[in-house]
Amino acid sequence: MNFSVRDVSLSTGPVHYLVAGSGPPILYLHSAGGVRLTQPIQELAKTFTVHVPTFPGFDGTPRHEAVASMPALADLTAEFMGTQTSAPCDVIGHSFGGWVAMWLAVRHPGKVDHLVLETPAGLLPEGKGGLSKDPDVLRRQLYAHPERLPPDTKPMEVVTANRAMLAHYHRGPHMDQALAAELGKISCLTLVLAGALDGVIPPVTGRLLKARLPHCYLTYVHDAAHNIEVDQPDFFSRVVGDFLAWGEGFLVKRQARA
Amino acid sequence: MKFIFFHLMPWTHITEHGKDWPVANKYLVPEQGTDFYRNYIDEMAYAEGFDLIGCNEHHFSPYGLMANPNLIAAALTQRTSRAKIAVFGNLVPLNNPIRIAEEYAMLDVMSGGRLVAGFMRGIPHEYVAYNVDPSESWGRLHEATQLIIKAWTEPEPFGWEGEYYQFRSISIWPRPRQQPHPPILMSASNAESAEFAARHHAKMGIVLLTSLPGARDNIEIYKKTARAAGWEPTPDDILIGQHMCICETDDEARAYLQEGCDYFYGVLGGGVRTAANLVLKESRFYENAQRRAAVSQRRRDLAAEKIDDAIAKGAVLCGSPETVVKQIKRIHGELGNGVFNITMKVGNIPDAVVRRGMELFKERVLPEVRHL
Repeated sequence: MNFSVRDVSLSTGPVHYLVAGSGPPILYLHSAGGVRLTQPIQELAKTFTVHVPTFPGFDGTPRHEAVASMPALADLTAEFMGTQTSAPCDVIGHSFGGWVAMWLAVRHPGKVDHLVLETPAGLLPEGKGGLSKDPDVLRRQLYAHPERLPPDTKPMEVVTANRAMLAHYHRGPHMDQALAAELGKISCLTLVLAGALDGVIPPVTGRLLKARLPHCYLTYVHDAAHNIEVDQPDFFSRVVGDFLAWGEGFLVKRQARA
Repeated sequence: MKFIFFHLMPWTHITEHGKDWPVANKYLVPEQGTDFYRNYIDEMAYAEGFDLIGCNEHHFSPYGLMANPNLIAAALTQRTSRAKIAVFGNLVPLNNPIRIAEEYAMLDVMSGGRLVAGFMRGIPHEYVAYNVDPSESWGRLHEATQLIIKAWTEPEPFGWEGEYYQFRSISIWPRPRQQPHPPILMSASNAESAEFAARHHAKMGIVLLTSLPGARDNIEIYKKTARAAGWEPTPDDILIGQHMCICETDDEARAYLQEGCDYFYGVLGGGVRTAANLVLKESRFYENAQRRAAVSQRRRDLAAEKIDDAIAKGAVLCGSPETVVKQIKRIHGELGNGVFNITMKVGNIPDAVVRRGMELFKERVLPEVRHL
């Protein structure tokens, strides 16, 4: 599936995005590693029109000086949705993107239909999880199967700059207390995906979300670390595909979708 | 030193040395079966004084009447109060892992936290019985183990998306009494399984000791793998399984055990060996040809082995109480295990002999080896 490269001018500056597919719109919010079009995202484009915006400052795009917090980034995402997709639409957020997606669902509840949070960041208790500074440890935290990574074309300076953007949008502890206090307001049907081997987001985060979100399912993906789409693309597509197709009905076993 | 009284619940009214598998159930008389179960459960309950009582799971043969070991374990929770209950099933790759998590949790709660939960891969012929690809045995065991532990320990409902198992929302009732979960026991009768047990932080069980050097190698592999995984096994984590026959004299014990083993391997084990050889030939139950050949040879050797030879190489415990004390000390000295898993009802050894042997063990053996 070929994604078109586009830009849109929003109130605080330009936003770069990719789009592909046909069908109802779906928004994919990337991790702090930047945009990566994994196999499951490509597959989504067979049944959805997939929109993948690049958060300002990531992957070499310019920052928006007026957008320097997670709530502000969520507001910008809502503005992007207003120009591109009919509301409400399904949203998938991975890690940092999941953090943004939660703020989006808190502040703009009418814009989110089904919400998928893949190993979402932003809710780490002190002393648990987080990114290691040791490259070897970090790699094991991120991938159970690094051999499944596609050749990464991003230069190291871009990867480093992407990680630096975390501090631009959030300063302080890894537990976003303001968000934690608002989780009960996320009214949309939510699927939280946890990697059974995730070294970045601890199990307690999934449990917190399961306990606090009013309509939430928590699923562990076997033999997957932080990047489930890379480690287990087929498992990801199966459970997310069923959730998006059937909503709560995804609990009921049925014949495989065509 | 701890001791498990392990029972296979063999059907001992069959007399033909058949090799067919599965064994036709026309040889089982259900009315007599009622008496068998009553007697065997009595025998197991009588084993209080041992530290643990062991059940196990086998299918489609007179080798053992515990197709579901949890049923027998459930009976034992109500007939005993002190001994832990070790289940040397469930054959995890062959069963629904959520059902296993639930039934083990029930047993742990019913017994007041006395469950030792076996996560067994099973012996080859069970895969034919339950129509599961033997080549998937390790993958299923690995995934199901993680899933069962999750089901035991997750306080919130959760789903599981894996290669072999998909469950969209799980919350078992009850959850186990022992926290964070009951101790886990895995078979470690070869190098591959010893590594697997250590990686999963499980107790290792050499289900039936056949050679001291081989057992020593497996224990070393287990310890080395555990240390690499960040934990240190204790003697309590190492179980050695042995047949045991105790009588007043060595000669009497040897005669009974020889007859029991001949029946066990010759009559009860014939069909099982046939199916096992088929699985070894047609699947990747064991990874390499050398290992497959070694397992087949070992099965043939066991069937032909004489008791005197088995005693000499330390493979069985057999004799008067004084002799058995020496044998236990020898094995413990060589292997450093903290647990013996003892089978006294070997084949068709009469139940009266088994019971008398249990008494001799409690009165004259246990006091001499408890401190080890």
